[in-house]
Amino acid sequence: MKRRVDWRRRLTVSGVLLVTLTAAATGWIAWLHSPDRGLPYRDGFSRQEADEWKALGGTWELVNGTMRNDSDERGAKLLTGSPWWHNYSVEADIDLLGDSGDAGLVIRSGNEEEGVNDYTGYYAGVRLIDNSLVLGRAEHGWMETVKPLPAAGLIRPFQWYHLKLLAWGCQIVAAVNGGRPPGGTTLGITDPNCVQSGRIGLRSYSSGGMWRNVAVRPATQQDLAAMLRDAEDRSSSAAENETSQNPEVNPNSSLLDEDQESAPSNPNTLAIARLRLMSVAQPVTASIRGVVILTEPRLYVEDSTGGVYVPDPKAPLLKVGDEVEVTGVVHPGDFSSTMVNATVKVLWAGTPMPPLSVTAAQASTGSYDATFIEVRGHLAHKERGPGNTLVLRIDEGAQSFRAILNPGRSDYLYSRLKPNSTLRLRGICVVDPALTHNLTPFVLLLRSNEDLDIIAGPPWWSTAHVIAIVLAIVMLVLVGVVLYHRVENWRLRTILEERGRLAHEMHDTLAQSFAGIGFQLQAIRNGLPSGMPALQEQLELASNLVRHSHEEARRSIASLRSESLESGDLVAGLESCARRLVEGGSVQVISERQGEPRPIPLRITDSIYRIGQEAVANAVRHARPTRLTIRLTYRDDSVCLQIEDDGSGFVPGSGLLGFGIRGMRRRAQSVAAAFRIDSEPGRGTKVTVIAALPPRLTLGAWSGILWRRMREHSIDARPARTANSNLYRG
Amino acid sequence: MNFRCDFAIGRRLARIFLSAACLLWASSAGPTGCGPHRRVTIAVIPRTEGTVIWEAAHVGAELAARRSGVSIYWSAPTREDDVEGQIALVERAVKRHYDGLVLAPDQALSLITPVDSALQHGTPTVIIGSPLPIPAGGELSYILNDDAEGGRMAARRIATLLHGHGTVAVLGIDPDVTAIMIRYRAFEEYLVQNCPGIRIAERRMGSFNFPHEQQVAEETLKAHPDLEAIVALMSTSVDATLSVLASGSEGHPVKVVGFDVAGWPLFDRSSLDSVVQEDTRSMGERAVESIEAERSGAAVPAVTKIPPVVITRDNLNSAQVQEVMAQDWTLGRWNWSIVQ
Repeated sequence: MKRRVDWRRRLTVSGVLLVTLTAAATGWIAWLHSPDRGLPYRDGFSRQEADEWKALGGTWELVNGTMRNDSDERGAKLLTGSPWWHNYSVEADIDLLGDSGDAGLVIRSGNEEEGVNDYTGYYAGVRLIDNSLVLGRAEHGWMETVKPLPAAGLIRPFQWYHLKLLAWGCQIVAAVNGGRPPGGTTLGITDPNCVQSGRIGLRSYSSGGMWRNVAVRPATQQDLAAMLRDAEDRSSSAAENETSQNPEVNPNSSLLDEDQESAPSNPNTLAIARLRLMSVAQPVTASIRGVVILTEPRLYVEDSTGGVYVPDPKAPLLKVGDEVEVTGVVHPGDFSSTMVNATVKVLWAGTPMPPLSVTAAQASTGSYDATFIEVRGHLAHKERGPGNTLVLRIDEGAQSFRAILNPGRSDYLYSRLKPNSTLRLRGICVVDPALTHNLTPFVLLLRSNEDLDIIAGPPWWSTAHVIAIVLAIVMLVLVGVVLYHRVENWRLRTILEERGRLAHEMHDTLAQSFAGIGFQLQAIRNGLPSGMPALQEQLELASNLVRHSHEEARRSIASLRSESLESGDLVAGLESCARRLVEGGSVQVISERQGEPRPIPLRITDSIYRIGQEAVANAVRHARPTRLTIRLTYRDDSVCLQIEDDGSGFVPGSGLLGFGIRGMRRRAQSVAAAFRIDSEPGRGTKVTVIAALPPRLTLGAWSGILWRRMREHSIDARPARTANSNLYRG
Repeated sequence: MNFRCDFAIGRRLARIFLSAACLLWASSAGPTGCGPHRRVTIAVIPRTEGTVIWEAAHVGAELAARRSGVSIYWSAPTREDDVEGQIALVERAVKRHYDGLVLAPDQALSLITPVDSALQHGTPTVIIGSPLPIPAGGELSYILNDDAEGGRMAARRIATLLHGHGTVAVLGIDPDVTAIMIRYRAFEEYLVQNCPGIRIAERRMGSFNFPHEQQVAEETLKAHPDLEAIVALMSTSVDATLSVLASGSEGHPVKVVGFDVAGWPLFDRSSLDSVVQEDTRSMGERAVESIEAERSGAAVPAVTKIPPVVITRDNLNSAQVQEVMAQDWTLGRWNWSIVQ
């Protein structure tokens, strides 16, 4: 009945738990899919935080509170937000970093991949080439609509514009304000099969760009209507806009050389590799053409024959991918050259060069000095370098090198990098001792976070993991041992309960029958005439046999009963047993307990108890003692039971195994206990059983056990039961 | 009884364990065994072996080793441009815990990490021939060829040959070997400063690929018919240029000044004027001495420069040249005699 109640309670608890968990999981999933999760959103660029952004192409870095892409890559994207955002607007200040291409914002973006139009969503941007606001839909393809700005030449590089893009239902509206003189326009589309939801993104096409004050807000129909109303009065809305009130000019605009276009190109340019063979003793001025592969912290230009370092150039704002002509004084180096006092002229914007894949051993030869390479290696160490740069020490085979990344967005990367990870890095290989400090053959100057891929994390067999696994195994073994002992205890309890039940059965049937037969025989004897001595004698014999059998039955019942044992007090149980046996006699029963009592496993308790019962019974029945001592001694690692009497005693080994001694020995063997009988005729008998106890689970105990086990194995110790047998024989 | 048995087994186990550990250590540590009479061994790894120029270093190292009572582990790649092979040898030397390392690096940058690793393991190291970018100090020292002086020697020789006026080509510029770049720069700077009438008409990169060097020499001679002299900065360029000139179809009266020829200079070729040869024998000898001094705690100079020798037809048989090009193994540990 009690078990049923337990089960019912357990089922109820489990059901409630399951329902709660299901509700929590459903809630969590609903929260994840919520179109308002994370809204409103503001960027953390001014705090140099951009961990939540993911780049696809480009060289995205945080510079002075703005997100900057110094690459002319077509369709470079930086994405963030929830794919479940539905009706919302995104706005930001945008600055074009080149005199071609466009830059803008993406809304409802999904399925993004690296590539020009490899995403699904809507893009709006300011485009220099046709002085227009462009709005279109990308779906691994591109369809657009364009609206020119009201005044010619309104879209210019190095100038901040405020761009807002709103999606409500299937209506998408874009508006741009700002510029010199202030101006703007609004452009909207209705797309019947519109993209319903998606993230936001920053995107540029064939131009670098800068973004700041990125804000995303939930949008309503009123917001949409307001934007469309604003379109009717551009000048007033522009006046309200902070950017347009104070047309802000990017300080970098001074770097745009107005005379660049008019400067003639040098027809006698050289291949970069040829610079190394110029005179080392006489300065020579030369011109080369190549593609910009790095702008910060150093300017490197590469052509198909090699790369060149251009320190402190007179140059407009350069972006990775720009195709340039460099004219300067050549300083040939061992592995690459340097062009000092150089003037850089941008020929046209281009797509950044792909890296050359080499091994660390190849890069270590210096053959790839000043070129853009891709190399693999294992992260040995990471640290912060001067100017808060991220410095990685990479090992690969017999070579080591360092990779240096500008602080920009490296905080997020720093936390993700774990020693012994396998990395793929792309960057400019530089053997200049000013950077290598002659500690490594080369350093790799990374352009942005996206130049580093974590191919694989640290191997699982790290020291910490191995320790964790060993600890887990030890814990599992311990749990297994505990469970085993628990099951053993359950089994023993079941046996004890069954024995108790048998004892009750025997008491109620067998013992009562013997008693009844005895009474009947006594009644027959009493009713028998006195002249029948032979019959009297036979009845007396039968009565004796019945009495003896009754006693045997009682003794068996007593030994099967375990009430005393269940109390857990061995001594009290045995004393009770002894007192029952000597009841009415003159035998003095003394019980003693020595040492600090401690729990004894049920299996051992049962065996010792049975041995003690047998020893007490033997003493009472066969030794005719006047005193019977029951002594239980607790030791550190064992428990010892002694049953001692002052009775007649016997000669050990004289064939007296019938006194249950064989059974006692078997019980002792079953728990690996030592069993011994000391007896002499006329001097009583002492039965000793010593059972080892499981150690207390302390650190010292563990080491002790280990040491004992090793010793036992080394000396080829014999099993306890053999020792037991020897003791018995002695 | 049990206790005694226990102790006996314990002793036996301990002995077995120690023997096994000793064997393992001996097998992994190479010359560093468990015995009391372990012999000091110094690893000498030249740029290559089996050539006159580097076997002379072997002779020098053996001489110093015999004087000091140490032994030499000598090994090198079969080609001067087998950088990976040389790195493997350095790593092996570190793994075997040799008592010192003498290295003539095949490549300036690639050997930084392996040599740094050797120093981290506490191996006294001497770089001979061409320097590495690692600054000297601690257990690292340099015994180098004075390449700047070598470059000037070549320039003076050219100035003498051309009487201060003419055109010259420089072949065999190899940035992998810093020594070559040093001698190249010194050569050009000397000419610019002292012989403005001599013009360098052609500069070409070099490699240890003989056919390529032959091609470079042919192209140079075709492109500059008025060329009067060629400076070949590496042994392959010297041999290739002499080979092209010996074929003689163009009939160029060009004189060649070479550097560091691998074998005996081919003065039977009339084009060869002279060879600026580094004294590898002295480098090997002094490097081993330096390691021994370092091991005994004595101060050793961080950088030592040994001047090269200009070998011409006139001094080919001089005592100095014979010593630089020494191949006399009886100076070292091979004390054999020839049975007549």
